[in-house]
Amino acid sequence: MSGGGRSRCPDCGCAELVEDSHYAQSQLVCAECGCVVSEGLLTTTFADEGNLREVTYSRSTGENERVSRSQQRGLRRVRDLCRVLQLPSTFEETAVSYYQRAYQHPGLHAARLQKKEVLVGCCVLVTCRQHNWPLTMGTICTLLYANLELFSGTYLQIVKVLGLDVPALSLADLVKTYCSSFKLFQPSPSVSVSFVEDKEKMVSRTLQLVELASESWLVTGRHPVPVITAAAYLAWRSLQPGSRLTCSLSRFCKLAGVDLPHPAYLRVQELLAILLRMAGQLAWLRILNLDKQTVVKHIGDLLQHRCILLRQAFRDGAEEEEGEEQPQEEGEEAGSSTLEVLEKKRPASSPPPLLPPCMLRPPKRPCPTPADPSITGDEDISDSEIEQYLRTPREIKDFQRAQASRQAVPGAPAPS
Amino acid sequence: MTRPCKQPRFINLITDGLRIALLAGADCFICPNPRPLTVGASYPGINQWRVLLGAAGPEPTSQACDDILRLRLMDTHRSPSHSPIPKLTERPRVLLISSPLFTLMEEEPYLEIYLDRCMNQDELASTSSHLFSPIVPYDSYLHTSSNQETIASPLEPSKEPSTDLSSVDLSFLPDELNQENTEQTLTEGKPGVEGNHEIQGAPSRVQSLNEKDSGGICTDDFSLSNSGLNPLSDGNSTLPSPENSSSGFFPLTSMTPLMPVTPVSEGSGIVPQLQNIVSTVNLACKLDLKKIALQAKNAEYNPKRFAAVIMRIREPRTTALIFSSGKMVCTGAKSEELSRLAARKFARVVQKLGFPARFLDFKIQNMVGSCDMRFPIRLESLALTHQQFSSYEPELFPGLIYRMVKPRIVLLIFVSGKVVLTGAKERSEIYEAFENIYPILKGFKKA
Repeated sequence: MSGGGRSRCPDCGCAELVEDSHYAQSQLVCAECGCVVSEGLLTTTFADEGNLREVTYSRSTGENERVSRSQQRGLRRVRDLCRVLQLPSTFEETAVSYYQRAYQHPGLHAARLQKKEVLVGCCVLVTCRQHNWPLTMGTICTLLYANLELFSGTYLQIVKVLGLDVPALSLADLVKTYCSSFKLFQPSPSVSVSFVEDKEKMVSRTLQLVELASESWLVTGRHPVPVITAAAYLAWRSLQPGSRLTCSLSRFCKLAGVDLPHPAYLRVQELLAILLRMAGQLAWLRILNLDKQTVVKHIGDLLQHRCILLRQAFRDGAEEEEGEEQPQEEGEEAGSSTLEVLEKKRPASSPPPLLPPCMLRPPKRPCPTPADPSITGDEDISDSEIEQYLRTPREIKDFQRAQASRQAVPGAPAPS
Repeated sequence: MTRPCKQPRFINLITDGLRIALLAGADCFICPNPRPLTVGASYPGINQWRVLLGAAGPEPTSQACDDILRLRLMDTHRSPSHSPIPKLTERPRVLLISSPLFTLMEEEPYLEIYLDRCMNQDELASTSSHLFSPIVPYDSYLHTSSNQETIASPLEPSKEPSTDLSSVDLSFLPDELNQENTEQTLTEGKPGVEGNHEIQGAPSRVQSLNEKDSGGICTDDFSLSNSGLNPLSDGNSTLPSPENSSSGFFPLTSMTPLMPVTPVSEGSGIVPQLQNIVSTVNLACKLDLKKIALQAKNAEYNPKRFAAVIMRIREPRTTALIFSSGKMVCTGAKSEELSRLAARKFARVVQKLGFPARFLDFKIQNMVGSCDMRFPIRLESLALTHQQFSSYEPELFPGLIYRMVKPRIVLLIFVSGKVVLTGAKERSEIYEAFENIYPILKGFKKA
């Protein structure tokens, strides 16, 4: 029940104030002289101030009385969350103001408690994004014990309702914070000396790998964290390939003390494929016939010249298309079908296009044919067509009998 | 070089839409390639030239479209006095409309209908004069005197569309065809040109253009709706000369049902396909859901889970939610007409079950379309430049959610170039939204 700040006993000046209760009434008593500094319900802020106890602003102005208890709780949770995440104090005020604004809206005012809890996280996330503080939704969801669906719904709702302009997650900052959270930079019982790595080198190489990934369409549309995990894994391995080549992704994550996101496996494979293609452009690597394991040794070199190698290794998909169209237009005879024109006839030696992986895979289903446009909607409906959907009286009786017998069995669910 | 001015006779065969456009103050130019009933118009002040056409059928429409595009691209014979002509930097957009006239009259020959309308309506004269006054482009061909003739003698053009087509068809084309079109590399002039016209080079170019259309442009840049309007490439590999094609569509008496014309994006050749239509209808009678679930084979009803019967029919493949108040929601159809047909079938089933069901207030609530740009899109850049419209959260959803203001459509844009458009009440909204987003996305084509 103690108030804002720890204060001293007005009589003896001692700082040791003990909370004790006298007949169920809580009192703050000085341990030295026994002076009652403040009593539970019988003192007012005025009396407290008279006793030279400082009273916080929020308690003296009664502003909390105007605010409902659940809102107070929410605001307190916002502040607590900001403190847990060790955010600067300015963030706290912004997040609190967002929460207050959001709380006014009827849609969120009458929402369930669960949603209001999640709202706390959304406000903090928006604040962090606006200050380019790399905080992922996954982190907040684990802190709030909320499920991502509810979080995403509330987040999108609050962005729309408050009309907020939320910048995108800055990948570079996220890489730095994520890599800093690895426990690979000091030797420990679980991390042997050969696995320890210099933080700066690792972060810079991971950054370069992430940049390479974003250039080659591996980041757009995908969750950022698995990409960073994959990049960190490859960077770590490449910095000391001798001892680390055999270390698997899951083992790496255990060493680093981070969760292994499932898509990271795929990202590793995709990154390695890009690196292999790039390695094919360097003469001294081409003869080595690299595979997915051995290319890791040369990641350093590949990253140094990544821009040029990427451009050489993959042709730009669009350029190739235009280049093909023109010679085809000139040379092709009039009778060529549409298919031939659209088909990309590539000579075997030309490089593959740089496309997102979803475009490189062949389409799963054939495109459905569009509806027949000659239907007017007012055609006649034949009786036989409708009859096929109706049960005969005999069938109805059978069905009813079956339903009744099923319901007679205890515990059986009622059939629809 | 003098050219026979035969086009104006087709002026009176205007579609409703064009008339409206003209009344709205549009400038017009006449398509020199007289698939009958094709006229081009441009709206002053708007940075794009829209070509309106109505035509007698799918084939002539596509042909006319091709020709108008070619001619519009080679806009060399505008007189300088004409007010600001937007420099053609991209392909003009072609908006095809079908006059309600077409859909109504399926038995009668189109021309007769038009003639009736022309003769009955006095305002035709006024609109025609209005029509002709701002006309500039083909000054050399249009003489005011001939205008009067054409109004007075509407019967003339009807009788001789095909034969005159060949004669007037290509005579109009400017000699400077090549200059304007850099992207269409023209083949040499092909033989098989009609004899009557005066310019020898032009027809061959048109023919070659037509051929090229079939090969390249028509399909790449501007394939009209897939099912209906078949470009000439399918039919003939040799040039479908205007003569042949005109003879193809000439029997206006035997009418094929007109395919609904679809607008085409400039140079993209992509038309969004409708995937789902949600509609509601009021059956206007209280329903006993238990009875419906009992007597109908295709119905499921679980009152604890949802307070409506879920009924499905096979043709067209749709699902309906039928509520006890008599309201019904029909989903899953691929076009507006199919949705209406499906809703009617559901209503008929309910009727057969013994309820006095009616069919009131059929309304389409939502339409979903999708299409493929065929090039990858940098979603991060798009989200950055169009921040106020886009919402891109890769942690939540792989696509970018673009909320277009006009028309009010939500687009889901994916990195593979596939776009889903939803929230439309009309088909045109989807097409318009796609036309709006296409240039934006093209800007992000290359990384």
